[in-house]
Amino acid sequence: MINKISDEILLSVEKPSRYTGNEWNSVKKDISDIKIRFAFCFPDVYEVGMSHLGMKILYHLINKRDDAYCERVFAPWVDMEAKMREKNIPLFTLETKSPVKDFDILGFTLQYEMCYTNILNVLDLSGIPALSSDRTNEHPFVCAGGPCAYNPEPLAEFMDFFVLGEGEEVLNDILDAYSLWKDQSASREDFLDRISKIEGVYVPSFYDIKYKEDGTIEKFIPKKKDYPQVIKKRIIKDLDNTFFPEEIIVPFTDIVHDRVMLELFRGCIRGCRFCQAGFIYRPVRERSTEKLSDTAKKLIDSSGYDEISLTSLSTSDYTNLPDLTDKLIEEMEKRKVNLSLPSLRIDSFSLDLMEKAQKVRKSGLTFAPEAGTQRLRDVINKGVTEEDLIKSATLAFSGGWSGVKLYFMMGLPTETMEDVEGIADLGNKVVDAYMSVPKEKRGKGLNITISTSFFVPKPFTPFQWEPQDSIEAFTEKQKALKSRIKNKYISYNWHDSKLSLLEAVFARGDRRLCKVLLKAWEKGCKFDAWGEHFKFDDWMEAFLENGVDVHFYANRKRSYDEILPWDHIDIGVSKDFFIKEMEKAKAEELTPNCRMGCSGCGAAFFEGGVCIE
Amino acid sequence: MNSIRVKFVRGEEVKYISHLDMMKLFERAARRSNLSISYSQGFNPHPNMVFGLPLSVGVTSESEYADFELSYFMEPHEFLKQFNSNLPDGLKIIDAMEKNTKANIMATIAVADYIVLVSSDKTYNMDHINVVISNIMSKDQILVSKESKKGKKDVDIRPMIHSIKAIMTDDLDNSSDAGDINNENLIINPFMLNYIKGLYKYEPGILSYNVKNLFCISAKLSAGSKSNLKPELLISAFNLLSDMELNLVKVHRTGLYIERESRILDPMSQDALS
Repeated sequence: MINKISDEILLSVEKPSRYTGNEWNSVKKDISDIKIRFAFCFPDVYEVGMSHLGMKILYHLINKRDDAYCERVFAPWVDMEAKMREKNIPLFTLETKSPVKDFDILGFTLQYEMCYTNILNVLDLSGIPALSSDRTNEHPFVCAGGPCAYNPEPLAEFMDFFVLGEGEEVLNDILDAYSLWKDQSASREDFLDRISKIEGVYVPSFYDIKYKEDGTIEKFIPKKKDYPQVIKKRIIKDLDNTFFPEEIIVPFTDIVHDRVMLELFRGCIRGCRFCQAGFIYRPVRERSTEKLSDTAKKLIDSSGYDEISLTSLSTSDYTNLPDLTDKLIEEMEKRKVNLSLPSLRIDSFSLDLMEKAQKVRKSGLTFAPEAGTQRLRDVINKGVTEEDLIKSATLAFSGGWSGVKLYFMMGLPTETMEDVEGIADLGNKVVDAYMSVPKEKRGKGLNITISTSFFVPKPFTPFQWEPQDSIEAFTEKQKALKSRIKNKYISYNWHDSKLSLLEAVFARGDRRLCKVLLKAWEKGCKFDAWGEHFKFDDWMEAFLENGVDVHFYANRKRSYDEILPWDHIDIGVSKDFFIKEMEKAKAEELTPNCRMGCSGCGAAFFEGGVCIE
Repeated sequence: MNSIRVKFVRGEEVKYISHLDMMKLFERAARRSNLSISYSQGFNPHPNMVFGLPLSVGVTSESEYADFELSYFMEPHEFLKQFNSNLPDGLKIIDAMEKNTKANIMATIAVADYIVLVSSDKTYNMDHINVVISNIMSKDQILVSKESKKGKKDVDIRPMIHSIKAIMTDDLDNSSDAGDINNENLIINPFMLNYIKGLYKYEPGILSYNVKNLFCISAKLSAGSKSNLKPELLISAFNLLSDMELNLVKVHRTGLYIERESRILDPMSQDALS
């Protein structure tokens, strides 16, 4: 335990509860009885990290073991970091205030690319060498999992190993192997060797990458014959019979998602061609209604939360939604618990449901048409028509709603100015839909917000070969749209194109980005996703100084036969399927969703969920 | 259906929780305990519970109060038991009584007792500090600058100071604290005593003050909605009216009292509850 975190320090920083732990349902164990100490780090501030469902699941999963103790670590906010550096306080876990350096394993969850500098900062604050090659038996093993781990290469030199796919089973396999290894006091490499044989584990230092003269990859080479050539992700076949915590930590201070999260299913049947989540979590697997309502009850009992949120990539696609929500509303109303329903497709059922479930004002509804014209929506396989949208909006306005948010992406493959202008036109049509509803029926104060983000091509999507628009093109498109939005009821927000550029670089990056990342961190880059801390110019210098060209990664069109940095990772969806989907995109053809018919993506290999229904 | 008043302790583990978050915490703990606290009517129902006097972030207390309205009858001791099994470390209800008056705790709070731990620029002896205290108490008016949302203004805090007394921390380094425990000028409050002992354990260079230069001021101050004096301002008065340079290290609340028909009462007394 560190005896340095004084009240003087805590009183001088914002939100001291970020650092004090001891929350309800946080796990307390006697560390003298513990063989494996696991530090789980979400590399962002407490309020963001504590909102993450995956961490909640894995925290309690590990803590079910008698031989292991999982403790939490977050990135300290800049004020706390300054104090820690001034007073020489190493980064500590919330549970026992132990230095992270003393742990056996330090695991990061990678939810977005723009947290990568925070990882280096966390390692530095912990006194753990950034490069895995510099670590010895005195240091913890450093690993990472989560969606960004599917392209692990930009972090390859910093991680001892990656965990690909869902952690519920593979983590226990790794901890079992660690327990055995620890008894034998063998070498660090020996442990990595052992776990490299566990399906879902990738040890980057066991592989060499050879590049061609043009900078593309020539070969991915295992250093030994028995290292797997392809690393396959792990999934849980049957979600009903896998671990889901029945208690969750209840923070003392507001966090971003301060409620019970009930995970309805994993994956998404839709297959929107830009969406990585729609492919990496395949196949779609649901939890049963009985299991869900039972878990919901237990979680409210153990947490005391006043809100429960149904989470999934697309709530409306849960097969038994009416039955589930009826059960939940009945149970939760008694206990003054609100049901919140994100990711709902707006139709008469969902509007009715929202009215029943949420005793809040009819404020805002969100639609995500993603593109401004039908042509482009067909390209991205977003199965929404203008007619659908206008019908839903009209229905909502007639039901008293008056605020609508419309989400779009700019820079999607094949996009023209016509598509960009279509965004404004669609906004106008939603205004018309409002005006078409009689005054006495519609809510007062129409307020439409159009938000555009810039398209970031992601690995494991049909668009993984596509170039991202240049910053200039983004700016031009965004200005064009702004000038076309003249309606006083519509306001327009857009994302930072510079951040989107960096995201594109790291999303599809390779190992050569490790040194850039290290350089950027040395220049003081951290909390890049927090607007006020994003230092684009320092980033550009870091690229320049390492002779790495951002455009090579962000704005270059790849050919189908190029070896991609993530080609040795197998998510179950085949490259052939992605090529077929890309070709269909060009032809503006739709692909039916997984429930309408199987398109043979390859995920049926896992023999789970929708593939075997 | 009844009302229950509880007295609770807020310890070190939970002292950084803001007042708003503390209310949320109690609501959640009540739901975990399956205690049927009644809810207000209307669009945004909230639980019928009222807290005595908000504690600033960082302040501990051994006498906080809250009133709860229940939607069905419950014995106070049963209420206490169930609630306590669902409160985090550091929070504990130590007494619960049925409340038969409409007057709620928040509206009637009038006086608070504090022990304030301060660090000084150098070691002062007891006599020196007592002279300063006599001087403070002999003033008719003490104007201290108070910052509020509207800006700075001078307030006369003298009428809000009911009594003050200096208490020494002695040399806790020697850990032979049992010896002089009867000395009334020595700190004996277990909360504060433990806290000060903890300060001795910090590594060098962490604290900005010398632990040898600590002493306590125990004070009875006006509290509540009508007039409220925070210990911070009392310390400003010390700095204003003496040659000492004091810095506030920690505040611990030891008592809260209500006023009823010009009488100052313990909130758990029968006179206060009926």
